[in-house]
Amino acid sequence: MKFLVCIKQVPDVSGNVNSGRMVLNAYDASAVEAALVLTEGTDSEIHLVLIGPDSAKETIRKALAMGASSAVHFVSAESDSMDSGSIAAQLASYCAEIQFDIVLCGKQSQDTDAGLTGGMLAAHLKLPYATNAVGLAYQDSYDGIVVTRQGDSGQEILQLPLPCLVTCSNDMNNPRIPSLKGIMQAKKKSIDARQFENNSLSSTRILNYEQPAAREPARMLEGETEEKVTALVLALVQESGIF
Amino acid sequence: MEEKFDCIIVGGGIAGLSAAMILARADARFLLIERGEFCGAKNVSGGVLWGSDLNELVPDFGDSPEGFERFINHRRLTFMDDQSAFSLDFKSAHFEQTPYSGVTVLRSKFDAWLAGKVEAQIEQGTHSESSFLATDILVQEVIQESGRVVGIRAGGEDFFADCVILAEGVNNLLTRQIGIEPAYVPADHVAVGVKEVIEFDKSVLEDRFQLNGRSGLTNEFVGFCSDGVEGGGFLYTNEKSLSVGLVLGMKDLREKKKAPQDILNQFKEHPAVRDMLTGGKVVEYSAHVVSTGDIDAVPERLYDDGVLIAGEAAHLLLNAGKAIQGMDYAMRSGILAAEAVLAAREVSDFSGAQLSGYQKALENSYVLTDMHNFHDAVKLLHDPMMFGAVPNVLCDFGRQFFTIRSEPGQKSRHMMTAAVKRHSSYWDLIKLGAKAARAL
Amino acid sequence: MGKILVHVGSQGGEAKRSSLEVLSHVSRKIAGSDDVVVACVFDVNPGRLEQTIGEYGADDILMYMDPAYESHLNGVLAAGLEDAIRATAPSLVVFASSESVKDILGAIAVNTGAAVLPDVVSFSAGSGFVEAVRPVMAAKSLARVRAEGELIFVSVRSGSVEAIKNPKNPGTTTFEAPIKPADLKQQLKEIIKAADETVDLSEARVVVAAGRGVKDEVGKRLVEELAGLFGGGIGASRAVVETDLFPATAQIGQTGKVVSPDLYFALGISGAIQHVAGMSNSRMIVAINKDADAPIFEYADYGIVGDLYTVVPLLIEEIKRHK
Ligand SMILES: Cc1cc2nc3c(=O)[nH]c(=O)nc-3n(C[C@H](O)[C@H](O)[C@H](O)COP(=O)(O)OP(=O)(O)OC[C@H]3O[C@@H](n4cnc5c(N)ncnc54)[C@H](O)[C@@H]3O)c2cc1C
Ligand SMILES: Cc1cc2nc3c(=O)[nH]c(=O)nc-3n(C[C@H](O)[C@H](O)[C@H](O)COP(=O)(O)OP(=O)(O)OC[C@H]3O[C@@H](n4cnc5c(N)ncnc54)[C@H](O)[C@@H]3O)c2cc1C
Ligand SMILES: Nc1ncnc2c1ncn2[C@@H]1O[C@H](COP(=O)(O)O)[C@@H](O)[C@H]1O
Repeated sequence: MKFLVCIKQVPDVSGNVNSGRMVLNAYDASAVEAALVLTEGTDSEIHLVLIGPDSAKETIRKALAMGASSAVHFVSAESDSMDSGSIAAQLASYCAEIQFDIVLCGKQSQDTDAGLTGGMLAAHLKLPYATNAVGLAYQDSYDGIVVTRQGDSGQEILQLPLPCLVTCSNDMNNPRIPSLKGIMQAKKKSIDARQFENNSLSSTRILNYEQPAAREPARMLEGETEEKVTALVLALVQESGIF
Repeated sequence: MEEKFDCIIVGGGIAGLSAAMILARADARFLLIERGEFCGAKNVSGGVLWGSDLNELVPDFGDSPEGFERFINHRRLTFMDDQSAFSLDFKSAHFEQTPYSGVTVLRSKFDAWLAGKVEAQIEQGTHSESSFLATDILVQEVIQESGRVVGIRAGGEDFFADCVILAEGVNNLLTRQIGIEPAYVPADHVAVGVKEVIEFDKSVLEDRFQLNGRSGLTNEFVGFCSDGVEGGGFLYTNEKSLSVGLVLGMKDLREKKKAPQDILNQFKEHPAVRDMLTGGKVVEYSAHVVSTGDIDAVPERLYDDGVLIAGEAAHLLLNAGKAIQGMDYAMRSGILAAEAVLAAREVSDFSGAQLSGYQKALENSYVLTDMHNFHDAVKLLHDPMMFGAVPNVLCDFGRQFFTIRSEPGQKSRHMMTAAVKRHSSYWDLIKLGAKAARAL
Repeated sequence: MGKILVHVGSQGGEAKRSSLEVLSHVSRKIAGSDDVVVACVFDVNPGRLEQTIGEYGADDILMYMDPAYESHLNGVLAAGLEDAIRATAPSLVVFASSESVKDILGAIAVNTGAAVLPDVVSFSAGSGFVEAVRPVMAAKSLARVRAEGELIFVSVRSGSVEAIKNPKNPGTTTFEAPIKPADLKQQLKEIIKAADETVDLSEARVVVAAGRGVKDEVGKRLVEELAGLFGGGIGASRAVVETDLFPATAQIGQTGKVVSPDLYFALGISGAIQHVAGMSNSRMIVAINKDADAPIFEYADYGIVGDLYTVVPLLIEEIKRHK
């Protein structure tokens, strides 16, 4: 079996966004983890693809250190200005070059929360797909994979034939932290770096960023618990509009 | 088993990264292990990196200013009581020439930047596939064989090297594990540092502190800022923020039952400080232990068979009143430790006897020279008068001197006498002055 | 602009409130122009859909009524929508952002050649372009974005616009599903619903959300009782979902749902950025946490520092006295 996992480098949103620190998209880390769990003890191959600047090599190394086998890196300083549509188009043209059984994506990018690339890539490749997966398994009686996805009002369990595409939620697993051995092996794995010209134009672009309106600091209610509660309910009655 | 490394460095702080840079340059095969998610993730400094050692590691760093925040051309030392601030202020264009004699840094950015430079250096060597900076990994144990350090254990796996450099910082569990420092560290050898990063609109910051381009200000404080606890405060300008904090003696804090965060809040509310902070937003709070930098805290031997101790793990730090110097000391000791490893590699001898050259080099460098020479100054700083009577006398005097009333004035001599009487005695001050003259 | 297609999500013949928000908003925006709003809806039976959709301002309705839409397979809904788009030839298609819309948005955009702006909180359309505002960086920042093209998709976060009635008399055309589950290679095996789910979170005016501070069944009952007083929905943080005390459908945040009720209670939630991303647009936020330094208080309007196990029972009693 051959897995292709699409990974992206994103700014670390949990820390100070201005720090400029870049990390492996958390949802992609879950996709890598899912592939590792599914292929454990088999001779399956986990191949990575990333479109991003030269410095994104660090992110590829991290996923290789987790245990993926090899990677292709489309080096582009402008990947930031590419929207999901143009990323998906580029990934699709790469997929046309290679053989794979399962393509995994993250369910969304942590920085943009777009959540489009997976579905777009599946449409380009005409693959059956499932998004927002929280579980992934083989089933003996079925020649494909079984995906549990989080829907609006419950979990849906689907059978997908191969080849197929799945986008992964971070609720699926806790990605492993690379071991020292993993980190050492990763340096010897091949990263096929290819220069690439972005010729699929994005149909959307970011005009500017704004700060969300700042909220007033919370009114901290003081006193004995009873007093706090009384004051709170008074405020709710007066201000919430639901009494 | 994997082949043995020339060297394993524990800790990707300043000491560890500096050692790594030297090893990478010499094309040695090494492994640096950092427990933080990335180099700098867990590290706290005030932080001004003094001196010119950075230029040795990253020549012309001043031309590619992604790593540091601002260079220092303006310094201020402030004595404060509860309402006043009496400052010595010095600004000079001398400081504007590279290499700068001091730059402010934010560790999470700076350490990561330095790690990037080390990675790039590794890439250029012949061991690009077999030298590593590994993060998010905790070294659990130093492995010893018949009294000799031979490697480390991390994540349940063993890794071996000719020599190990422990650059683990002040929380030096491994240094204690191998008995170089006793397991029990007296509380008066450590202090607590607390710090906030307060963000501003860049132009507000530049206007308020008269900053020009990348120039910056350092301001140290003594007196009211530490609320009677041994220690002092600092305020440093970063590119778009201020680092504001305190370093407080651990023992004194415990005895006086005070919480560092409360003292910091009080410091920030001081009229002189408050005016500098208005309009800023606290984006980061951190607390970290810091060595008091007493030479008595430095272990007798900073080496043993197959092992060297560098940076604050060896309590190499100087805080003699005019600045905290921990980062430059970490850098220099890291460089010297790596050089000692390279010298040992030349002769294939990693015994303590051979590695003792490291300690000699430290003695000859500013690191141990200054720690010896300024030992009395460090002691002086711990004198309660330094954070009580002295700033009070100065502020009292200042208030009289700068107050102009519509009535006949007094001579400053009388003002001083009155101030001294209120807060101290001449005799105590003379004793302190004599001590200071000797110490500085 | 010509025609605007609005997808109306529904379940069991009832339109979703978030879709009515979007429909009403679009309908009010184009009032006085020559533009036409066409609603399309995909369900098993019509229920009251035709009436509701008319009330909220559609000029035309495309009703895809077919047992196929029970299946939750993305291929079935995607084919239906693509069919509706072909039939309408709109310049703009507007969706309420839900899991099932997220599931198909990218694929149908590729299949129809559309530009997409997902999960926006506001938008305005002109000839051949749409400008919109969408939260990014876990809602720490807002990006103003622009899409250009002959066909543009916009999906709108629930609670971003108001559902106000704007009655019209739409014409209705009914269709069968162009693709049925049996035509697809994938199969749905089963749907597991959380047994105790009652109120739809994204529709609720009051949400009571539990965090890891809610440690056991006793705490869970407090949450349920408080929510019950308002007929509110029950939300949860990722950390408490991991303990299996609350179902994953209750998860609010970057990975989970985005909600913007009139009143949000955060009980024993620390306020991690990824959680806040899903609730910071709530009109009024109340936080109860025993840690005075918990970041959740930075987002709350009212805060109580205390143990939720002692505060919430008193709160429930006090609210009852006012009801
Ligand atoms: C509030 C405050 C203000 C300060 N201000 C200044 C200042 O203005 N100027 C100045 O020069 N100095 C200042 N210092 C002191 C300075 O921060 C330190 O002296 C300096 O960081 C020491 O560097 P180091 O490399 O020895 O240790 P550290 O920077 O502490 O690095 C040690 C590294 O080792 C890692 N580590 C530890 N144990 C393990 C393990 N078992 N396995 C793997 N990794 C491990 C740690 O994560 C860390 O990254 C200040 C300190 C504080 C707390
Ligand atoms: C990519 C990514 C996506 C994520 N998506 C989501 C998401 O969609 N939703 C989400 O919620 N999280 C999400 N997270 C996880 C998020 O970062 C936090 O880990 C999570 O929100 C923490 O949940 P918590 O506040 O319940 O738990 P904790 O952080 O453990 O906080 C528990 C709080 O309860 C308080 N407490 C404990 N006992 C009591 C008591 N008796 N009374 C009162 N207070 C008490 C404590 O003081 C503490 O503040 C995501 C993380 C990542 C990396
Ligand atoms: N630059 C990229 N390189 C490789 N894969 C990417 C890239 N950008 C997005 N993806 C994939 O698409 C997912 C996110 O989609 P979206 O939210 O549309 O950006 C990620 O989790 C990846 O799997």
